[in-house]
Amino acid sequence: MLELERLVGFCRELREHGLSVTPAEVVTAAAALQIIDNRDRGEVFLSLRNILTTSVDDFPVFESLFATFWSGKKLVQSEGRSKIRRSSPARATGGVAFFLENWPTSRSVDVPGASDTESGAEKDFSGFSNHELEEISRIARRIVRRLARKRSRRWRPVARGHRVNLRRSLRLSLKTGGELIDLAYKERRPKRTKLVVICDVSGSMDIYSRLLLQFVYGLQNSFAKVESFVFATSLSRITGELKNKTYQRALDRLSANVRGWSGGTRIGASLATFNAQWLRRIDKQTVVIILSDGWDTGEPEQLVHALEQLKQRSGRLIWLNPLLGSSTYQPVTRGMQAAMPFINVFAPANDLASLRALEPHLVL
Amino acid sequence: MRQIQHLLEEQIYIADAAIATALYLSMALGKPLLIEGPAGVGKTEIAKSLAKALKTKLIRLQCYEGLDATTALYEWNYPKQLLHLKLEETSPASEAEKEAAIFSEAFLLKRPLLQAITEHERAPVLLIDEIDRSDEEFEAFLLEVLSDFQVTIPEIGTITATHKPHVVLTSNRSRDLSDALRRRCLYHWIDYPSLDKELEIVRAKVPQIGEELSRRVTEVMQATRSMSLSKIPGVAETLDWANALVALGTTELNEEIMAETIGCFLKDETDIATFKAGNTDYAD
Repeated sequence: MLELERLVGFCRELREHGLSVTPAEVVTAAAALQIIDNRDRGEVFLSLRNILTTSVDDFPVFESLFATFWSGKKLVQSEGRSKIRRSSPARATGGVAFFLENWPTSRSVDVPGASDTESGAEKDFSGFSNHELEEISRIARRIVRRLARKRSRRWRPVARGHRVNLRRSLRLSLKTGGELIDLAYKERRPKRTKLVVICDVSGSMDIYSRLLLQFVYGLQNSFAKVESFVFATSLSRITGELKNKTYQRALDRLSANVRGWSGGTRIGASLATFNAQWLRRIDKQTVVIILSDGWDTGEPEQLVHALEQLKQRSGRLIWLNPLLGSSTYQPVTRGMQAAMPFINVFAPANDLASLRALEPHLVL
Repeated sequence: MRQIQHLLEEQIYIADAAIATALYLSMALGKPLLIEGPAGVGKTEIAKSLAKALKTKLIRLQCYEGLDATTALYEWNYPKQLLHLKLEETSPASEAEKEAAIFSEAFLLKRPLLQAITEHERAPVLLIDEIDRSDEEFEAFLLEVLSDFQVTIPEIGTITATHKPHVVLTSNRSRDLSDALRRRCLYHWIDYPSLDKELEIVRAKVPQIGEELSRRVTEVMQATRSMSLSKIPGVAETLDWANALVALGTTELNEEIMAETIGCFLKDETDIATFKAGNTDYAD
């Protein structure tokens, strides 16, 4: 038999391990124990799990605590609290996690332009857990949702909506002899913000590109109007490679199709290529994001010219520099200095918080 | 509880103790049941079987992005109201009477939620399918309806449910649901079935399939799920495939049959390539 007191203690224990168990749920659990056979372990287990968990992610914690609860032992408060951690969501074990576990770790970082003394570069992203990678995707999704929800001032007719389109309704009424039978509706047109992401995958960016590509992948797959590119010594368009695939397969295709991965950097030349081929697609509704550390082996003049063009055509030019995350970093490299006057937003991109802070900048 | 399990099995739904417990509690405590799981594992099927087992109506609300309160709850039948006024133009009724007439229940278009609340005979099963596809605003609105099962229509007044419907919500986890909604509901997770359970399902649903073939089909499906595919096939696909094999009069799986019917459970070209690469020996 189960006493109420033990049930309450069990719920408290669950709460301490990170499950959100409300008093209302405790009451429900108590009510449930009245109507089931509370000597049957299986039945009690399933019932309480139905009531006290709210997600499959809670199951492992619940299972381990239930064992103690059922055996009737006194629950030890402090011990074990840190041992049982909420496992990462089941879906994370699919594509992304699989890929990251198999990410070639032996990639050399010793390439032109990368300075070993740059302190920010020492931060190790290989320690990123599945949970944090999930978080990156979530941030990307949230940014994109915010972009898509933004409404412009213009109207468009829709089949069903909240606002009556008077002009159209009256015109429709003509065919029923001036009687308003069918109503037409209208709504605010969604803003046509587009995103262009240009990601540096040269050697000096190696440790960040994994994180940033995940971010680009997230953006690409939750928003139709995203174009993504990568460059090291030359530019490649990767929109098609990233789209509608598992992260694993997207990266397989990337490594097969993109040359010069992890090589040196020629930002100026790559952006010039971009401008030559894609500039006409860029308008004031487009936010251009460049992800790079600014180490350029080419001439700064070329970079200046390319950025000037880009800045003129685009709605906003954002440069995300992972090195900016470290407190000692100053944008003194020739490339970066040349680029500064043309950038609307110069922000770090070395951790989750910096990606999260990006959200307001992307909305025009 | 055993009774529920038995009832479901009569509807050819292979229920395990977990599902039976969840449904029993949901009915006994009068709480909505939130079922989560990957696509194609039979979440929707639970509600359908429950309705059949209880011999009651199934009212289904399919969620989609942009679903709003009017499409889910009620709308005034505006053209009918207009026509009515037109007909009554010469009648001696006063304006107030006319107004009362056109804002009566006869002019109300009941959408699924209102239908579920006004069901008179017996409590229906209300299936709110793929709640994760609706947006946050709708979820908040739904919470309000689910908490007291009453709806206020300004012109008519408050309508309270005569029989509280049995509510089943399903979600594919494409979006995180709000904590408030999760807490309001009982929670149940369905995963892909084990080999034995899937075999049982196949044999129950496609009885014409032979013992040997059904085993091979399930084995292939179980192996397929462990591959790295972009669309992992669910039980629905297994059944489609089994039905296709029966329709073709197949008795054993060979390369030719596989090539012809692979589209039943793999719907993506690259997935098919992956499958073929991993399965060079499926012909036995």
